Amino acid sequence: MKKASGALRFALLILLLVAVSALALFWRLPENASSFVLWQLRAPRLLVGVLAGSQLALVGAAYQTLFRNPLAEASTLGTTAGAALGALLSLTLDLRGVGAFAATSVFSFAGATIASLFLLHVAASARARLEEVLLAGVAITLATSAVAQTVQALTDPDRLFSATMWSLGQLPQVGFERVSAGLVPVLAATALLLRRRRALGAMLLGEQWARSVGVPTRRVRLEVLLASCLGVSVIVALCGPIAFVGLIVPHLARPLVRGQAQALLPVSALLGASFLTLSDLCARHLLPARELPVGALTAAFGAPLLLWIIAHRPRTLG
Amino acid sequence: MTPIARLSGASLGSRVTDMDLAVSPQSCVVFVGKNGAGKSTVLQLLAGLLAPTRGSAELSGRPIGELGERQRAGLAAWLPQRPQVEGTLTAREVVGLARFRFDEGMEASSRVAEAHLAHVGARHLTDQRLDSMSGGEAQRVLLAALRAQEAPLLLVDEPANHLDPLAQVHTYQALGELWHNEGATLCLVTHDLRLCQLLGPAERVLVVGVAAGRITWQLPLSAPELPLELEHLYGVPFAPSESPGGLGIAVDRLEPARP
Repeated sequence: MKKASGALRFALLILLLVAVSALALFWRLPENASSFVLWQLRAPRLLVGVLAGSQLALVGAAYQTLFRNPLAEASTLGTTAGAALGALLSLTLDLRGVGAFAATSVFSFAGATIASLFLLHVAASARARLEEVLLAGVAITLATSAVAQTVQALTDPDRLFSATMWSLGQLPQVGFERVSAGLVPVLAATALLLRRRRALGAMLLGEQWARSVGVPTRRVRLEVLLASCLGVSVIVALCGPIAFVGLIVPHLARPLVRGQAQALLPVSALLGASFLTLSDLCARHLLPARELPVGALTAAFGAPLLLWIIAHRPRTLG
Repeated sequence: MTPIARLSGASLGSRVTDMDLAVSPQSCVVFVGKNGAGKSTVLQLLAGLLAPTRGSAELSGRPIGELGERQRAGLAAWLPQRPQVEGTLTAREVVGLARFRFDEGMEASSRVAEAHLAHVGARHLTDQRLDSMSGGEAQRVLLAALRAQEAPLLLVDEPANHLDPLAQVHTYQALGELWHNEGATLCLVTHDLRLCQLLGPAERVLVVGVAAGRITWQLPLSAPELPLELEHLYGVPFAPSESPGGLGIAVDRLEPARP
């Protein structure tokens, strides 16, 4: 019965994603629209949304388990900020085309990794105090934002506009070429994270217990952090920093995975894809003839949730 | 016979100093001593969770540092004093996760977990969350997890802490079954030697006194001089082993508080 209910859950989540995708493709599609609008504009954007949503949610679920903290996600622990600073630096270099995207991704990954190594250092030296990890994440975010603003201030006004738009976080209007360039690293990061879901489950009972049953916790921690940096940095390079998806979605997913903690990661990934696609749909159609950055929308959902979690402190991390 | 676990001149900061210890297969060793004496640290050294700064720690004749994580988990299982029970893990998941070292699917782990839970009389808890259980229920689940790891050496840290008397008795009986009937080697940290009499034949239970990170004496649980050594160790009198309530605190020899 248990197995059947698990399969049913995945089937329903996939159905939800298909429905949301159909909406994203065909909602308010003009009668006389060419196939160009559908296949060259809407389809790649949908694909970016699915990739970004699932990756950010997956990283959020992994971070919350790894740091045993319901507030952990890429944007609260400084990974997103590090990636964004790296990406911003590359945007000021005036590169173009797919080469530019590759450069942005590499810069972004470097930024995310440096931020995460700082975080890991704090986590290792203050193992008992998980709050300190979050404070370190806040400190990293503040420091990198200060540098990012300085960079923006020094950038010439033409490029400043696009950099500012990018830094709000939105699903870009890009072709399949660029999306598929990001596909490989994102899928690799996803596979790495999903492969470690059992080890992460064991770490919920404490790092020492996990080690005692044979989990190589140090390697798992490093692998999860690096895979997360890889995934997040490619998404940041594509879409800019989209906050709170990784915070919200795992909390929505938890009621669905009661009694099967190891399903949290795949369920979060599926739900995240639908969540971001739906958010983007709202961002596109909420105001007539204007488009909101989807990052602003997810922040509008996420910030109150963050406050609610701080006030209620749920101890449900599984 | 090769000891199943051995410390040779092992030191760790100021917590454990120059400790020599050899645990032979299928024996039962009980560590006693004041809080902070280093008892739990000894278990963590044997579990490979801490590494000695000087000297060596071995499992089955091999230095623990040379063993892979899974290999080590196949030799020694550890039940911590206060496990962090976070999140929504169910009994089935916890026991299944204790089988991490086995190369088996989650389905298989889950089936084995059911059997182990049934064995410790916790079938009804299988799909309950650990954080919703009473202390005694959770301890039963963790004992099932300890069994499920299928390691020959069991390192158990104050297993009856915070439990009600019946759960304490159940816990020690279950540990005794693992040691005396199923052939496991048991290393136990406790303050309660009365309960240790439930483990099995007292003359085969070795009690090790630990003070300030050093082993000060080793005596069988049946030794008549044990209460006196405990008195030296803890600074309170203990009832003689053969008396009723033997090896408990001799309350009749203490002054009650005056109003």
